[in-house]
Amino acid sequence: MEFLAQTDPGFWFGQPETMDLRIKVIGCLVFGFVLLAVLLNVPSRWRKYIVGAITFFAGLFWILQFFWPQPLHRSPTDLPANPKEVVSFWLDDAVPVVSDFTSILTAMLTLLGIFSLLRVHLGRLFKMQKDWAFSLVLAIAFVCQATFSLWDYYDRKANPQITAGHGWHIQNYMSDLLFDGMVQQFEAAMFSMIAFYILSAAYRAFRVRSPEASVLLGAALIVMLSYMGVVTQWDGFVKSMAGSNQFLLNFQLSVIRSWIKDFVQTPSIMGIEFGIGIGTISMGLRLWLSLEKTGNI
Amino acid sequence: MAKIIGDKLQSLPKYWLFAILFLVTSIPLFHPLSVPTPPDDGSADLYAHLMQVPAGSTILLASDWTNSTRGDSKGQFVAIIKILADRKLKAAIYSTADAQAPRVARDTIAEINAVRVKNGQPPYSQWNDWVSLGFYPSAEGQLSSIATDLRKAFASKTEQNPATGEQQDVFESPVLQKIYKLSDCALSFTITASKTSDLTVERLLHKTPLVLMVTGVMGPQTQNYYYSGQIVGLAIGVKGAYDLETLMAKGLNVPGGIVSTKIPASAPPLSNQTDVQSIGTLFYPPLQFALWLLIIMVVIGNVGMALSKMGAQSK
Repeated sequence: MEFLAQTDPGFWFGQPETMDLRIKVIGCLVFGFVLLAVLLNVPSRWRKYIVGAITFFAGLFWILQFFWPQPLHRSPTDLPANPKEVVSFWLDDAVPVVSDFTSILTAMLTLLGIFSLLRVHLGRLFKMQKDWAFSLVLAIAFVCQATFSLWDYYDRKANPQITAGHGWHIQNYMSDLLFDGMVQQFEAAMFSMIAFYILSAAYRAFRVRSPEASVLLGAALIVMLSYMGVVTQWDGFVKSMAGSNQFLLNFQLSVIRSWIKDFVQTPSIMGIEFGIGIGTISMGLRLWLSLEKTGNI
Repeated sequence: MAKIIGDKLQSLPKYWLFAILFLVTSIPLFHPLSVPTPPDDGSADLYAHLMQVPAGSTILLASDWTNSTRGDSKGQFVAIIKILADRKLKAAIYSTADAQAPRVARDTIAEINAVRVKNGQPPYSQWNDWVSLGFYPSAEGQLSSIATDLRKAFASKTEQNPATGEQQDVFESPVLQKIYKLSDCALSFTITASKTSDLTVERLLHKTPLVLMVTGVMGPQTQNYYYSGQIVGLAIGVKGAYDLETLMAKGLNVPGGIVSTKIPASAPPLSNQTDVQSIGTLFYPPLQFALWLLIIMVVIGNVGMALSKMGAQSK
């Protein structure tokens, strides 16, 4: 049981940029590829049981971690007093290692995505299929960004003054241009364009065609107005007109907005989230117990 | 006649709308305006909690945003870093949502420091005031790990110590040397444009007080956590950044400051008022103009529809 739950930094922990860690990484990579090759060559009727068993035990760990009683105020010298605490302590010690596994697996999925993307686009490029020029742009952008970013990263590690803005070379300028000057600005531009389409869609589609649409439009207008400078003027006007009349104070925009948020919006969203939660549990159980039959293993 | 006008009002060319939106949102960027709106309760609560943290304490800061949502998130991040620098609080920054996020956070702090140095203020320095703990692709796993054992969650992370010029373990830095578990952090902040807000509440709840800073579209669903008391502060969108900058300039429930009837705590304005109001103050008026335009265009569309119906009935 000590396999995953090592209390001292042991096998699963390696100091960065040491030979020890590099050997472990290469070893795990080779082991992973061998495992994958074995899995691909296993007869398909057995494969689904192997994948199902791995899925079950991986899911079981996180379910136990969530539901099993957790040790409170545990000190490093504490020893488990009963079987329940043995499991509890083991789970507590194993979480950092298992979460590292999940991080590595997620990173491997990114690699898989890159492999898949490049396979599609390089294939289109070499066969000069339709829109091959876009694939060429993607390939050039990928190579340039990866090359200059890695070059810049190692350069900064070796020369800390670069981070302070001194002694820049081509790799630093290029990395800065590609990441801050292009990628980040493209992202910002892409998201800002949504505003134009929201305006256009609201103008064309937001019509008072039914009682439901009227209520929706009225609520939207009140909430939007209540976030604007007009709220202070209107609320001040209502307060001065209301005097000691508590009922009239309810016509302040901020009060109406609070009522809409507290009694309409929040309960509605809670209901929706509750439904989504139940659906997620149901789907999670199906996946965990390999009851989901879609796709081929 | 009414039908013709109505039809025309309903079919304004979309490029006109785009041009008008571009113009009305650009004007306030060149002629700064102030918008008199009271801060939200969540923003006021956030500010009050942050101002009560003892000087020298460390907060855990999840920076899960990139420039795609800089209109909302950057203003929030800049406001938080300015408060931390002014209050001499330390920050351990990590990301679980986007691989670009750590570099974006680093660049933004460099921008803030450039202005601070220009204004004669000390920079918010890496290693002594903040450390970057990097990006973790599995948010669920990493947050569970942080909740269970913070030291193991960030084991083997190194940063350069400017005094020695060598790479050292981040837990030797002034930021993390007294931090052994999550509850040692005074607060946990998550500035996010993704589902890491939900994951943070699921995994870190009850381990340390939580604060969420989310984009405008995430606001309604995130409010549930604030209303239920699961988080102690909430800033939503560019309004959240604007609220924080207003509170940083005026203080909360102090003489001459912002008065909140729902948040009883008081908090002074920042001690150094240089460059307190920046991104939130700059971006909030364009949002107001855009909302006004949206309201006007919806009204025009509905008036057009009514006129068209009247014209059709009179025929």
